[in-house]
Amino acid sequence: MSHDSKREMKPVSPANAPLHGLFAEYDSPWPMVEAAKKVRDAGFERWDTYSPFPIHGIEKAMGIRMTVLPWIVLGGALVGLAFATTIQWYTNAYDYPWLVSGKPFWSVPANVPIMFELTVLFAGFTTLIAMLLLNDMPLLSHPLDLKERFGRASDDRFFLFIQASDPKFDEHATRGLLESTNALLIEEVREDRSTSPDVPKFIGYAMIVFTTAAVVPFALAAKARYTHSREPRIHAVADMDWQPKYKAQRENPFFSDDRAMRPQVQGTVAVEELRDDDHLYRGRMGSEYARTFPTQIQANEATVERGRERFGIYCTPCHGFAGEGNGMVTARADQLIASDTGKGMAWVAPTNLNQDYLRAQPVGQIFDTITNGVRNMPAYGPQISTEDRWAVVMYVRALQKRSSAAH
Amino acid sequence: MATSKEKPESSKGSLKPKANKASSASESVGDNISGTELAGGLVSKGGAVAAVGLGISVVLGMMQNDSFRRFSFSYLTAYMWALTVVLGGVFWVTLQHLVNAKWSIALRRMGELIANAAPVFGLLALPILVPVLLGHDTLYVWADHAKVEADHALHQKAGYLNPQFFLIRMVFYFGFWTLLSRYLLKQSVAQDKAGAADVSQRLQRASGPGMILFALTLTFFAIDLVMSLDPYWFSTIFGVYYFASCVLAINSTLVLAQVWLQSRGRLTKSLSDEHLHDLGKMMFAFTVFWAYIGFSQFMLIWYANIPEETAWFKERISGEWLDLSWGLVLLHFVVPFFGLLSRQVKRNRKWISFWAIWILVEIYVDMYWLIMPNLKAEEIPVSLLDVTCWIGMAGALVAAIAVSAKNVNLLPVNDPRLPRSMAFENI
Repeated sequence: MSHDSKREMKPVSPANAPLHGLFAEYDSPWPMVEAAKKVRDAGFERWDTYSPFPIHGIEKAMGIRMTVLPWIVLGGALVGLAFATTIQWYTNAYDYPWLVSGKPFWSVPANVPIMFELTVLFAGFTTLIAMLLLNDMPLLSHPLDLKERFGRASDDRFFLFIQASDPKFDEHATRGLLESTNALLIEEVREDRSTSPDVPKFIGYAMIVFTTAAVVPFALAAKARYTHSREPRIHAVADMDWQPKYKAQRENPFFSDDRAMRPQVQGTVAVEELRDDDHLYRGRMGSEYARTFPTQIQANEATVERGRERFGIYCTPCHGFAGEGNGMVTARADQLIASDTGKGMAWVAPTNLNQDYLRAQPVGQIFDTITNGVRNMPAYGPQISTEDRWAVVMYVRALQKRSSAAH
Repeated sequence: MATSKEKPESSKGSLKPKANKASSASESVGDNISGTELAGGLVSKGGAVAAVGLGISVVLGMMQNDSFRRFSFSYLTAYMWALTVVLGGVFWVTLQHLVNAKWSIALRRMGELIANAAPVFGLLALPILVPVLLGHDTLYVWADHAKVEADHALHQKAGYLNPQFFLIRMVFYFGFWTLLSRYLLKQSVAQDKAGAADVSQRLQRASGPGMILFALTLTFFAIDLVMSLDPYWFSTIFGVYYFASCVLAINSTLVLAQVWLQSRGRLTKSLSDEHLHDLGKMMFAFTVFWAYIGFSQFMLIWYANIPEETAWFKERISGEWLDLSWGLVLLHFVVPFFGLLSRQVKRNRKWISFWAIWILVEIYVDMYWLIMPNLKAEEIPVSLLDVTCWIGMAGALVAAIAVSAKNVNLLPVNDPRLPRSMAFENI
């Protein structure tokens, strides 16, 4: 099986090449393990054993220390974790924030699968690559390969090889050591002078061809970006391009009202959306506007402070900080009317909230005004939460009290 | 783990299955493999601890004056914790037969004994079963007929979640686990005496269908006893989540069993650090597996954000429960992950025992996290009952395992693969 013609045609190293080392051959693992212990105890460093299958305990017999590979793998895994975290944060949360299903831009759970996968991927690649490098791989040629007998290391023989470059190596003494180990035979291995140390030329050509070929896809993409074509585009995945579904606001003749979007079934209530408290949600008690705040709204400094903050955001642009109807929008409108651009235009100033008729209004009515709007004022119900609207009402009341005290 | 070879220089390699009498089994292995004296002490001590612990729990439960509601929750938590060990044992032994594992043969008898605690836990299910059969909603709201009729969702699920079918299922679960673990132990013990190698093949053949049925029973068992505490919530991965704890529990328990038995002079020559190393690898792997499954369950629900699914997690991320949830992530995954990463730790009996205890404690915390929020308390309802129930249940577990250990070797002496298990080495 191992005596094929290929192997015989391989060039043999000339006998006058310098000595590369000595190898001993064994026909079973046990004498080789015993020999390994002897070589280990003799203090050799540059030597190795070869066997067709893993031998348990050989690493102890050879005095091999625990490998550093696990630490390298741990490093690779942590790099993968850090890389996955950084690239997801940078692309999705920092450089190009993209809102997905209302989640925060940087929401960790969605990123965990990638973190996990890249940790495993980096750890896996690191294991393979570091293992190869630690074993001096890739090794394109080794003087032992020139020995025909050595092919049996992958079949039924066991070899122990000591390099001549080992500081303890002495041709006669080392041969003596190996002879004392029940070896079948001991042979010299000469340096490999049969092949050139240069990289073969075809590898260089192949690299040029592959590099050129690698540019082609990018060149095609660039061409497509800057040229026009009358051909329709290729639909590689037709059922993704044409999906059997209706988009929002489209027509659908199937329904009598021709609308694809279906309204909610009457009486549908979403979870925690049951608003059956008229006082709280509509500011009404029976048919009248409520004159008191709902019990859910606490009259304290925190609520007024919250109201002041919301008022500052939503109301001051028109009504002004003190609610006198002189916000920035009014100031700007007056400025425009006074200038040439606004000649002939009219502007109705927003309501001054500190008027007696407004002081007399029930809190429920003010709440209703904020919720649904009045005259030019739009509805703020969809923008400000129920509790916050009541807080704004409370703050408006505070403003009114302050202005009436000032008069 | 899969590749194990006899040590060339090992004298144990010469061991051959002999057709001699069981009494000389110890001599043939050259090791102390008798568990009889130890078992007797464990049964009486464990039984006493169980009686006292559970007795005190009943008294404390009565003092709560809540018709045993708080007691039932503590009892269920401790019960599900103890069953992770037992069901882990059933799974583990079946798995070793199924894949024809060699490394674990020397540990297998311990697994068989642990699995055989199953019938005792069938009896210990009575405090959970009886209120259900009486139609009380102490634990399960679906047991109360009036409440089921008043609730549309529960009414729809009543075909499955009803006391009678629950009883039938429980009898089937424990019947099957008892039969399977009995069969595995009996055949294995018979092999000790007769030394027939075909016993191993017969057990391997039985463990295929056994494993399929085990997967189904375990899944539905976890759904019935824990998930149905909140009958509105559902998660198809729930059974696997409980299964992860089972595998963690059995490997941790086997570590503790080996270390303890060897400290009492048993199996000192048959079991080595190599076995601890392999059990440690399984503990590490299933620490990751537990986190993987737990996160898979969480992420899908979090992402889809459908109220009927998120409600269950919302309970567990509000108030003090959030601290407990973070505690689980940290102490059930991150800390043991790095703790068990090193080869040296797995081969050091003090360290690996430490992590085995750590994991068993964390499994209890996990069960607490699954079960206790259903009390609908804003704060974590820590109670003395949790401690007394756990002590009682742990005593019952030890006694139930030791009961079957009388007059049984601690090593399957005539398994033809035993020498390979005793001599195996990790690369």
